[in-house]
Amino acid sequence: MAVTAFDQGRERIIDCNPAARAGGVRPGMPAPSALAILSGLHLAARDETMEQQALERLASWCYQYSSQVCIPGDRGGLLLEARASRRLFGKPQALAARLERELGQLGYHAQCGSAPTPESAWLAAGEHLHVGSRAALRPQLGMLPLERLQLESSCIEAMTRMGFRRLQDILRLPQRTLTRRFGPGLPDYLARLLGAQPDPLTFYRPPQRFFTRLDLPAAIHSRQALLFPLKRLLGELCGVLRGADCAVQSITITLGHEDREDSVLQPGLQSPTQDAERLLAVVRERLERLRLPQAVREIRLQAPHFLKFRAGQHSLFADAPQDRQGDMEQLAERLQARLGRSAVSGLCGVEDHRPEYSWRRREPGEAAACTPLAHRPAWLLPKPRRCEARDYRILAGPERIESGWWDGRDYRRDYYIARDSHGSLSWIFHEYKPRNGWYLHGFFA
Amino acid sequence: MQKSALDKLLATTPSLWKGRRPNHAQHTLPSGHASLDARLPGGGWPVGAVTELITPHPGLGELSLLLPALAEMGRRGQWLLFVDPPWVPYPAALQAQGLSLERLLLIRTRDESESLWACEQALCNGHGGAVLAWPERIGFTRLRRLQLAARENGKSAFLYRPQEAREQASPAALRLFLETEEDPRGTRVSVLKCRGSHPPPPTRLRLSAFANPAGDTGGHETLSPAASRTLLAGHTPAAPGSGPAHPRAEHEVVGGGGDRVRPGPRTDH
Repeated sequence: MAVTAFDQGRERIIDCNPAARAGGVRPGMPAPSALAILSGLHLAARDETMEQQALERLASWCYQYSSQVCIPGDRGGLLLEARASRRLFGKPQALAARLERELGQLGYHAQCGSAPTPESAWLAAGEHLHVGSRAALRPQLGMLPLERLQLESSCIEAMTRMGFRRLQDILRLPQRTLTRRFGPGLPDYLARLLGAQPDPLTFYRPPQRFFTRLDLPAAIHSRQALLFPLKRLLGELCGVLRGADCAVQSITITLGHEDREDSVLQPGLQSPTQDAERLLAVVRERLERLRLPQAVREIRLQAPHFLKFRAGQHSLFADAPQDRQGDMEQLAERLQARLGRSAVSGLCGVEDHRPEYSWRRREPGEAAACTPLAHRPAWLLPKPRRCEARDYRILAGPERIESGWWDGRDYRRDYYIARDSHGSLSWIFHEYKPRNGWYLHGFFA
Repeated sequence: MQKSALDKLLATTPSLWKGRRPNHAQHTLPSGHASLDARLPGGGWPVGAVTELITPHPGLGELSLLLPALAEMGRRGQWLLFVDPPWVPYPAALQAQGLSLERLLLIRTRDESESLWACEQALCNGHGGAVLAWPERIGFTRLRRLQLAARENGKSAFLYRPQEAREQASPAALRLFLETEEDPRGTRVSVLKCRGSHPPPPTRLRLSAFANPAGDTGGHETLSPAASRTLLAGHTPAAPGSGPAHPRAEHEVVGGGGDRVRPGPRTDH
């Protein structure tokens, strides 16, 4: 696999993976020659708008590690202010290792370095260097070749022609001569590099929404295989959410096919979350129910509404042997994802004397208040069933229930506790109004 | 030497059967019915295991049997999940028995396989609490999976099974058979199988105040007879054995007098 771009009208390889490199492909090679060397090479054209979008998403993602993130022009990288969060994330080396690891899990290859000024940090990142102080800048970065400097190519060419090879060669020269020889750009750059001059940056403000698109290199036929890219996308989303201190309650996943209508999943949660595992569990259930009309070519993940995140209270003894609220919420979500939203409900009492209107289903989180009544059956038939009085032996009763004149469903009934021939303890009633007859309404289970 | 190794094995492996000696290593929760607790190994419902309750008919007190233990779980902040209950649990009645409605969740599914899937999910999630289910048909393998899930998470699973299940083999830790005859002593509870000991002889439990309002209550847990009298308010119910009283005739005694005074509690609006 290699990435190509057009340079002066010719398609050239600009990067390739280790397999291609082992086959002899090198960056800078024209695309036809690369194909000649390695016939199975898969070429992909570079898409700069996609790259820029990815960079913006990563800037949002990095917001969880620093409140000052900058996308410097067209360089293809990010600058993070790390000093302020030093106490939280440890030394720059530790933060860099963490960023590289976590970005790696998201499918990106990151190379980090740190230094006291933005320009020096840029150079350090290219070398995996961590420069602790301004005094250490000259000795540590001095060995860098001039090509690494963020200067115009004409300027670098001029310096090379004069026999300068490394940064330290330039730093040794008196400043006045530099301006005369190479123009004002170079001393200005060096001043920013060494921190002699402030380098104001415009920081990136992450938007309160998330959108990403992933073109799959090969079409995916199985639902199981979709989980891997989805896991990556959800991880990225959750990083952005942590950065913005936000959470989502619903997301939209669109699976694009070659020439069929897109499949859309809209998993919803019981409460806002920024936990990728929890989102993935729900997405997995939804995927299992989905029928793919065709192989999937691209995945789009959208989270248009960010909600404020409220961190839950965690028990100090997290492994106490009982259910925590969160466990039950997650279970309810998983069940709802597969069985439908109405599959999970709580139960609560309604202040109505008529038994069939004295209960209702409630949302799992809602409060359940109820007046206890003795001598009522544990099971209530949703609809009273007609029965024959002679099949029952009355044990207690009657209890007159007469109510409901205000809503047109009024009735007058006498309820009895009775046992049928099988020994079932039943709740039966004799209705006078509106109908006349005997009905079974519940069991004392 | 050999003996100590054996002792160690017996102490660390609760599932080892030790002949007549009941195995108390199993974690249990008191059922709240003294005579049943005395018969169950460990003195109560097994925690982290499947219990099967086989009932030929509804209304034998099959839910009341569990309610003291379920109420206790609710007090401990554990969740109760009813997977596809056959009818509506009456909130006022459950509340009266001390059940915490906040901790109760109902799960409705569309078919048997979804129902079992939901059971398994419920058993796999969180820790502690109980899952109640009413499967029509459930195979040995599936039961075994539920049993494993329950053990893994320290949950109690109670499965209500029809009478046909009585003859089937089951990996459940405890199997009870409930039946009622015309017997003043209440519902007969037989232990078909209990892990860790021989099945004890059956017991009778009065699971409702109305199982026999006029019968003796000695030695059995019950609502106080006074409680049933307050409801009855002076009305004498038909005594058992006095022949099948005709409900309509009964009603005439109560309401046919022509006066507007009702003996029962009146609920008018």
